[in-house]
Amino acid sequence: MITASSLTKRYGDLVAVEDLTFSLEAGTITGFLGPNGAGKTTTLRLLLGLAEPTSGKALVFGHRYRELEHPARRVGAVLESNDFHPSRSGRDHLRALALAAELPASRVEEVLELVELDRAAGRRVKTYSLGMRQRLGLAAALLGDPELLVLDEPANGLDPAGVHWLRTFLRGHAEHGRTVLVSSHLLAEVAQTVDRVLIIDRGRLVASARLDEMAAGGRTLEATYLELTAGGGS
Amino acid sequence: MSAQLRSELLKQRSIPTSLGLLAAMLGLVVFAVLLHGFGLPAESIAGSTDQLMVLGRGEFLGALFAALLGAMSITGEIRHGTIRPTFLVSPKRGRVLAAKVWASALIGTGFGLAGSLIAAAVGTAALRARGIDVQLDGVDYALLIAGGGAAAALWAAIGVGLGAIVRNQVPTLVGICAWLLFVEGLLVGDVANIAEVGRFAPGALGEALSGQDPGTLLAPGLGGLVLAIYAAAFAVAGWVATTRRDVA
Repeated sequence: MITASSLTKRYGDLVAVEDLTFSLEAGTITGFLGPNGAGKTTTLRLLLGLAEPTSGKALVFGHRYRELEHPARRVGAVLESNDFHPSRSGRDHLRALALAAELPASRVEEVLELVELDRAAGRRVKTYSLGMRQRLGLAAALLGDPELLVLDEPANGLDPAGVHWLRTFLRGHAEHGRTVLVSSHLLAEVAQTVDRVLIIDRGRLVASARLDEMAAGGRTLEATYLELTAGGGS
Repeated sequence: MSAQLRSELLKQRSIPTSLGLLAAMLGLVVFAVLLHGFGLPAESIAGSTDQLMVLGRGEFLGALFAALLGAMSITGEIRHGTIRPTFLVSPKRGRVLAAKVWASALIGTGFGLAGSLIAAAVGTAALRARGIDVQLDGVDYALLIAGGGAAAALWAAIGVGLGAIVRNQVPTLVGICAWLLFVEGLLVGDVANIAEVGRFAPGALGEALSGQDPGTLLAPGLGGLVLAIYAAAFAVAGWVATTRRDVA
């Protein structure tokens, strides 16, 4: 589904991601954890073809992302919570993406209902709250009804009801045999949502395990995380 | 029409910027033509070359605003971050850039035609109102309007290419304005000894394409051809830049 092998990205002397190797199991939610600046977003950008690795490979369904035909039907991704033109309506944002992905306009209305934005869809995005923007981004990722969802910090800025909604949504998504890769800082939230965790620190993978293994022996995910990333980040 | 092109046309239709640019362009066209038509002494606009210059403000402003529109089609996406969802859905970036060139050229054609038509109508009315003989014939008008549309289409492609290379919106737009409003004026007109070079500058080629200043500038067909080469070169350079560089 997703395979990273010896994935490395350098910007001059700065090593953002170093020798990262991991794969994702179908039908699971994987939490992608690490301190600020650990290389999570860079890794996701490499997987999604927005950045080219310095060395190593990032494959999605066995191909480089940029070589996928109709990627929206296989992978849905949200990298930033505010990737919208402020003066465009939520509906038009989705319609433009649906046109490019060769998806029917009816699908736009379906995903708007799914993320509960159907009533706000005609308004310009600049009038949306952060939570609404997060859901609009998610709606865009869901347009093609993809098997794999990749989300970068999707819970940021959500109120408790929004977080609950997102958790229920991701669970339902995985229960239908689909796969989710979700990066997050919110360990308590992650502990309630994910099946597996990947932890990176300073560009390197420091853990890849099932959640129950990470929290074995009465330890919390937080304790294990802090131990593994000690001395890194801020 | 390809799915990608329809997507790009919808993007341009669904923000107020495109209409705002059109309105600003039309306002400036009327202003510039009236200013020249009524402000210049009658003997300065009695000849056909001078009258073409006045009516040619439509072509000039059409090209300028089409270039801005084209540049904004890519730099706007980079500025607002929509380039990420765009490339996630369409990771074959060359196709996205090609669709932006075609969409901007199509809308740019509309800008050029509208600007040239208004300039021709307002300019002719101004000359008549002052009792100045209009020296232009049907061919001149046809060339002003059709050439204005074509020049704006090609300038829109230049704008997309330049925007894809520079990426940052403000320097791109300032660069286009500075070139067309200032730098080219120096090259073609004021610094006489390089006028030979200035004829091949892209703004002057747009004017040549619409039949302006026939004594100094290239013939319309040749001007259009050279401008098309510029447009293709910018589009290809923008394509190379877009496909090779990482997206932030």
